[in-house]
Amino acid sequence: MNQEERHFEAEMAVVGTGIAGVAASIFALNRGIKVSLTGNTGALAYTTGYLDLLGSFEKQGFSHVTDPWQAVRELATDDPRHPLAGIGAEQIQTAFTDYVSFIGDCGIAYSLPGRQNLTALSPVGTVKKTLCVPRTMLAGVNAYAQKSRCLIVDFRGLRGFSGAQIVANMAGDWPGLRHERIAVPDMLQKEIYPEVLARSLEVPRYRETFAEAVKPLVGDAEVIGMPAVFGMHEPDKTMAALERLIGVPLFEIPTMPPSVPGIRMRELVEQYFPHKGVILIPQQKVTSIDFDRDVAVLNTADNYGPIRISAQTVVLATGRFISGGLEAHMDGITETLLDLPVTQPDSRDLWYQKHYMGKTGHQVHKAGIEVDRWFRPLDRAGRPVDERLFAAGIVLAHQDWIRSRSGAGIAIATAWKAVESAAAVLGK
Amino acid sequence: MSESKIPIINFKELAHSLLPEGASFDACLTCGLCSSGCPAAGLENMDPRKFIRMAMIGMNEELSTTPWVWMCTQCRRCRHVCPMNIDISLLVHHARGNWPKELKPSGIVRSCELARSTGSTSAMGLPPEDFVFVVEDVLAEVQETQPRFRNMQAPMDRKGAFFFVNQNSREPMSEPDEMVPLWKIFDLVGADWTYSSKGWAAENFCMFSGDESAWYEVIRRRVDAVNDLGCRVWLNTECGHSYYTMWNAVNRFGLEANFSISNLITYYAQWIREGKLPVNSDWNSMNLKFTVQDPCMIVRKAYGESVADDMRYVARKLVGEDNFVDMQPNRSANYCCGGGGGFLQAGMTEQRRFYGKRKFDQIAATAADYVLTPCHNCHSQMEDIGHHYGGSYHVIHFWTLICLSLGILGENERTYLGPDLAGLEVPCRV
Repeated sequence: MNQEERHFEAEMAVVGTGIAGVAASIFALNRGIKVSLTGNTGALAYTTGYLDLLGSFEKQGFSHVTDPWQAVRELATDDPRHPLAGIGAEQIQTAFTDYVSFIGDCGIAYSLPGRQNLTALSPVGTVKKTLCVPRTMLAGVNAYAQKSRCLIVDFRGLRGFSGAQIVANMAGDWPGLRHERIAVPDMLQKEIYPEVLARSLEVPRYRETFAEAVKPLVGDAEVIGMPAVFGMHEPDKTMAALERLIGVPLFEIPTMPPSVPGIRMRELVEQYFPHKGVILIPQQKVTSIDFDRDVAVLNTADNYGPIRISAQTVVLATGRFISGGLEAHMDGITETLLDLPVTQPDSRDLWYQKHYMGKTGHQVHKAGIEVDRWFRPLDRAGRPVDERLFAAGIVLAHQDWIRSRSGAGIAIATAWKAVESAAAVLGK
Repeated sequence: MSESKIPIINFKELAHSLLPEGASFDACLTCGLCSSGCPAAGLENMDPRKFIRMAMIGMNEELSTTPWVWMCTQCRRCRHVCPMNIDISLLVHHARGNWPKELKPSGIVRSCELARSTGSTSAMGLPPEDFVFVVEDVLAEVQETQPRFRNMQAPMDRKGAFFFVNQNSREPMSEPDEMVPLWKIFDLVGADWTYSSKGWAAENFCMFSGDESAWYEVIRRRVDAVNDLGCRVWLNTECGHSYYTMWNAVNRFGLEANFSISNLITYYAQWIREGKLPVNSDWNSMNLKFTVQDPCMIVRKAYGESVADDMRYVARKLVGEDNFVDMQPNRSANYCCGGGGGFLQAGMTEQRRFYGKRKFDQIAATAADYVLTPCHNCHSQMEDIGHHYGGSYHVIHFWTLICLSLGILGENERTYLGPDLAGLEVPCRV
């Protein structure tokens, strides 16, 4: 059968569609760089919507960080190899502002980075420190801070979210908190996925039915929190419409995957990025990159056949084990796309300490690739692998993003630096 | 018939044998994105995540016999949203094939048998001579009653034509006037095309029945028909699965196809860009709102975003930029309507409508007056769920709106238009 290979040309090819890859694409667009984005957006769908910069500090045994800017400054002296250590607070703030502004333009409004971390709610009734939250979640931050009279509503059949659990864990210092459980109107499924409810709430007629089921529970509540289900597309509008119908301010609390805030982000990328001028090859992984003399050639394929992208610069944002950027073997950890050297514990026995939840964390989490100050990956001799190759996100070594609550921070800040360096190569 | 039993498949073994290189079911995090995004989740107490987990722990009897495999439309949305690209539809395809013929949904089996019964490969059993007769008969009437098209042709078995045009059997069999707008478009752009009396039909229920050899046989006849006429392009008209079944099978069975496989939507877009189809939206002074339904078989499972973009380009030109509203989600992430995979023919009406609720909500959220789709199964399903759930939208083919816009839509060619457009007279622009 006669079939053609498809070929795209870009000034910058971003590999990986997690927060780092998405952020790199945004920063490239803002600089007028023609950018392509390739990757499987799975990991993005696991995000909660909260954007952490640095939520806990290793130096203090991973305790909560109130002022992330001060903590970032301290990293420079305490942990100079940390990917955030060499990036100034001002640049990080610019990066966050650019990122949330762009996402806001695409339909998910965010709070701007403030001077201090916010204290945000989790679906199990704990709190965490984070820098920016979607507008649909902001009233929850304020309600917690002010200990408002607050009702948590959850839904029969919607798993992984329990108002009773939230109240049980928080009532001690939040006496005005109570919960109610309702059956979701007009849904016969035994298991209700947040995604299904969110889609239904985009239908005006269904919103009215839903609001009628919630209204009798309001009582003296000043604000109502629910699992994140307020529409998938244009959540701010959906929430505002529900607030008008119910008559009380609302907020969302992130849920366990598969969660609506994560799927929102994935669909935002799929929907809006092509309109913004990104060459998007969604849901496919780059299988190889060849650095020719004039151009880097990335190979991938979709259902229909092979795809080739020629680019002048490449940003590697391939993530860690789940996303496939790193691979674990019996004899060590490898980087999957370019076989870059991976800094890692000397033997597999050293990957984990005995206590999994132990506060000191595990050495394996700090494995990753090495970069120079321009975020160019280094070869075994410590030289840049290629002048046109940059890396960003949690594929980088010397950070434990999970325990330090800094996944988005590392992704966004290092993407900003990588794009800045790539732009210099491009003369932009 | 009651004697028949469904053989038991070892799903774990099967799953591992079907995995592409580098993939692994160990990689499944059981996150549930597949089930969350699946309109069939909950039917028969099954969903894609359960299907995989049950396969991994060896619940072979339950999986071999669950009727859910006929309710999964194999739309492959689960794979699209899976971070690990696990494709449950492949297992479902094999599970379907494993059912004894007499236990499979009879509507699907019958449609496959009919396709094999004549040289037409028509799932409605329309033989070649009847197809030729219907085409000639309808053409003669148009030539007689519509002066603008008195010289229009609908060539049959013309060797060396550029396009080999296929046709869903529903048109010649049940609504022959629906072929006319397509012919008019070909006439206007000066397309070098032909029908074939052999292998002309679009639909392929043998694929849906999981019967690989029957699927091969039907596609083989179609490929031979195109090769025999020496056409350059097999042009899939507005029928979703016919595209996928041909394109996939040519690769799957290693058939020698001396032509390329294209979709009509791509050509609509090209002809509009080239000025050969001077459509515009002047007729839409009522500002009626339109959305499009991306058929899984053309978009997510085959071409991907490029054909989806073409579809939107054509729609926007036809109805006006401000009158086009996308469904959410859309393109490769779109939901299957529930008419695919033979569901419409499987006789499971209640389950099919449960599945279709997701699509109905999507359409309702757009508040569109019309849904455009280049797929017959999507078309039928969206009409049915519209009636069932109390929607007020209409579902139409692209060819109808193209000809309406150009002022060349005949009065017998307006079956699917609502009362607002059925009587609309647009001055002829070509």
